[in-house]
Parts: sequence; structure tokens; C-alpha cells
Amino acid sequence: MSGGPGRGLRGTAGALHPRWWLPTVVALAAAAVVWTLVARANPYVLPALGAVGDQLSTQPGFYLRNAAATLREALLGLLAGSVAAFALAVGISESGLLRRAVLPLVVVLNVTPVVAIAPALVVAFGFGILPKVLVTALITFFPVLMNTATGLRSVAPPVLQVFRTVHASRLDVLWRLRVPSALPYVFSSLRVVFPLSVVGAIVAEFSAAGSTQGLGTVISVASSNSQLDRVFAAIACLALMGSALLLVVALLERRVLSWHESQARPS
Amino acid sequence: MAATTERDASSIRVRHAGKTYGTGERATTALADVDLTVPRGRFVSVIGPSGCGKSTLLRLVAGLEEPDSGDVSIFGATAGEASAAKSIGFVPQVPALLPWLSVLDNVRVLDKVNRRAGRRRREAAGPAVAGCELAGDPVQLLTRLGLGDALDQRPGQLSGGMKQRTAIARAFALQPDVLLMDEPFSALDEFTREAVQLQLLDVWHETRTTVLFVTHSVTEAVLLSDTVVVMAARPGRIAAVLDIGLDRPRRHGHLDSDAMHACEHAVRAELEQAWVDVLPQEAR
Repeated sequence: MSGGPGRGLRGTAGALHPRWWLPTVVALAAAAVVWTLVARANPYVLPALGAVGDQLSTQPGFYLRNAAATLREALLGLLAGSVAAFALAVGISESGLLRRAVLPLVVVLNVTPVVAIAPALVVAFGFGILPKVLVTALITFFPVLMNTATGLRSVAPPVLQVFRTVHASRLDVLWRLRVPSALPYVFSSLRVVFPLSVVGAIVAEFSAAGSTQGLGTVISVASSNSQLDRVFAAIACLALMGSALLLVVALLERRVLSWHESQARPS
Repeated sequence: MAATTERDASSIRVRHAGKTYGTGERATTALADVDLTVPRGRFVSVIGPSGCGKSTLLRLVAGLEEPDSGDVSIFGATAGEASAAKSIGFVPQVPALLPWLSVLDNVRVLDKVNRRAGRRRREAAGPAVAGCELAGDPVQLLTRLGLGDALDQRPGQLSGGMKQRTAIARAFALQPDVLLMDEPFSALDEFTREAVQLQLLDVWHETRTTVLFVTHSVTEAVLLSDTVVVMAARPGRIAAVLDIGLDRPRRHGHLDSDAMHACEHAVRAELEQAWVDVLPQEAR
């Protein structure tokens, strides 16, 4: 192939070309065939794809309701975790004292598995939404903090010098230089934590045995009843949810970071 | 700091400036007892071999570093006071543009910081001075520098020469009392460099801002300047000050004139002399 696969395949017309969609479709079909073969040989391990499809199509309301519950936990946790991380990153980039005080604590929190903390939070805060939001926030917090802190420090020295020669205030340097320079770093952490937030919500639901809703609850109840089709229907919902979140970040990133080299179309 | 006399207000003065980096055996004297006077409205270039302290000298005037000894006064103010009053325009070696802003917004961005000083400067300026009109209008300034078609482009879409011209426009747009330029053209290819030099001269001719220009190109120093300051290394000091008496405005034709060659020759001779002076010190 000369000129690379990207050439001449831009826009909607490009997406309609078989060379664009055929590899994906073939790979998906192959995976479905393998799945079906394995499921046929081991009916008690893997449900047939048709059974999973039936679950989703006969009870869409049930899955939508539980997906909405999980999504709400994930998004609230994401919001809380990212905002707190961003604020702390600004704080530690401006104050060495704060950095030395807080960073060891944050690192300890990060190396502690969230799966281990979740049950403790459930004990403390009950079976409501709060412990789930907290777990998600915890899982989101560290990647955003570290990336943002690095990004805030990524302003090139000559740019800082130009601003210093006009006596720019710290706030000006922060707002006009550091924050925009940090955005590419923030987004690369968001790419990680958006899908991760779903993991946080599910882990919290697993830990809270008395929960009444959420896809994690659906999975733990259904698997203890050996309802494999239900388990995998919920898993499919989670996969879709994760992909949708990733898509949202990618679209947002393309908008906000149109100036950044990471957004240059491959040629 | 320096006593503010009326005489001081007419020039930039560096007096007995010394600067040493590191301590003990590792100490390097970047500048030793440097004296320099740049009268208002002059274009002064500083030239010398690598490590002669020319960039350090510029950074002292810019207030980016403090001298260990001696002092710097910019038209009667300290470097710190001058930058607080937004009277310094700085063009670093790399363009240092903000990649998320358009060319025009990059030129305007410094308006938005330290606003109070900006307002005070505008009030003090009163009725428009000659050249103010050009420097006060970013669009006109950019058009003059050949960037009229690139106002809305982002730095990532520009060539090296265009980026550096944007950085120059940003500095001129401040309407500073002094423009400090640290080898701004060193990364450009020969053709681009000549074009940008002449565009810089064109704008400077109208604004007549005081310029302190650091370079390592003899041709560039002679083409642009009223005065060329030759520096020597180890320790960094001023070896000679040469006045360039060439007519202005200088255009392409001047690049090959005999008078220009004579000036270049004089600067080169001083540079060689400064270089020879270093050798016995090294042998010790």
C-alpha cells in the first residue's frame, strides 16, 4: 500500500470505503465465531450470544435503569475526583510547602488498592451512593493529579521569561500559561480515568452486598444464581458504557486541543 | 539602587556589572566589570564568541537576573522597576509563542497581563508619538512584518521565520522603552534571516525604539546597528565599541557595499583581537 492507509480516506466518504470498516467487521465476526464455538462446548461457562441478545432486547428497561445508576456513580465520582485532583495540582505547583506535605500522603493512598478500601467505605457510609462515588473519586484522583501537576510545570522557560519581563502576576502566569499548557496532560489522564471510573463504580457495588441497583449489583446477584446470560448482558452494557465515555473524551479533546500536535491528523 | 539623575534618564547604563555562576573551583565569571551605555533611540548590537557573557548581559538588563556587583539602570529606573512598568520588550532566542493562541492573539496577550502598568503607560504617552500608531495597532504591525495573511493561524502552522516575526511583533506591540533581543534569528536559514532583518529594520525605523540586540553574526550586527559592542570571553568583558556610520534606511543594496564590508572588517578585527587576548590566560 503506497501513501499509507489514511490518504484519501478522510471524512464520511472515507468511512464508507470497505478498506476503512472491513478489518473491524471481519475481526468482530471472527470473535463471534470463536465465542459461539466455545459457548457450544461449555454451556455452563459461556452463554450463547443469542441468549445475551435476548436478555438485552426483552428487558431493555431493566438494563437501562441499572446502567444509569452505575453511570451516575461513575460520573459523580469522576467529577469529584478530577476537580479535587486539579485543584490540588494547582496548589502543589504553586507551593513547595504544600507539595512536600501532601505528596507522600497521596502516594500512599495511590499504592493502596482501592478494592481493599471499598468495603471499609461501605461500612462507614452505608449502601447508598456516597461510598460508590468516593471509591470512583479515589480511583480517578491520582492519575489526574500527577498528570496535571506535570502539565502545569511544562511551560517552556523562554515563555516564562517573556512574561516575567512584563511583570506578569502569578495568577496571570497560572491562568494564561500554566493551565493551558497543562490541558494536553489533563486530557491524557482523562482518557485513562473516564473508563476507569466505571471500574470504580462496579468495585464499590460489588463491595456493598446490600445494594439494590447498578450493573455491578446485577452481575453479583446473577452470577450467584448462575444466570450467565444476565451476567454477560450486564458486562456488554459496561463495555458499551466505557466505549461511550472514551468517545466523549476523544471528542472533547479534539475540540479543546485543536491547537495541539496530538490532534494533527496522520498524513 | 542607582541614583536617578536627569542624565540617567536619557540612556540605559550598565555600571561595573559582574556576574559569577557557581562557587569555589567551579565558579565561572560570566561578566567582569562591564560598563555599557545605550543612548535612547539607538540600535546597539552585542557580539562576541560563545561564553563571552553577551546573553548574561542582556538578562541583567531584562531583570531576569541580578548582577553580583555593579548596577543596571534603564532610563533612570532599575531593571525591576522597568519591567514592573512594562517598559521592556523581550525577544528570546526561540519564538516562545503560545501554541493555543492565534498569531494576532499572541501579539495581544501581553496586553492582558499587568494591565495597570499598561494603562499608566498609555496615559503617560499622551498624544501619539511618531511610530506609536504602527506599534499600537497589532494588525498593522503584523501586516508590516508580512504576516497580514496569517493573523488567524496558530503558531503550529507557521514557518520558523513567521514565528520569530510574531515574537518580534509581540515585543514591539508593548511599545516598550527598550527592546531586548537575544539572538532572535540564530535558528533561521540564511534567506529567511536576511528578509526578517530588513523587516525588523523597517519597523524599527518608524518606532525608533532603543534596541539592545545580541548576535553572533558580524554581518547582522553591522547591517542592523548604530553601534556594535564587541565582547571577549573568560572573563566576559567589553573589548571594543564601534560606531557604524552607514546611512539609513539600510536596504538590500547596502548588503554588498564597500562601506559595509569595511565595517564588517573592523568588527572582525576586534573580535580576533579579543580572541587572541584570551589565549595567554588559557595557557596559564
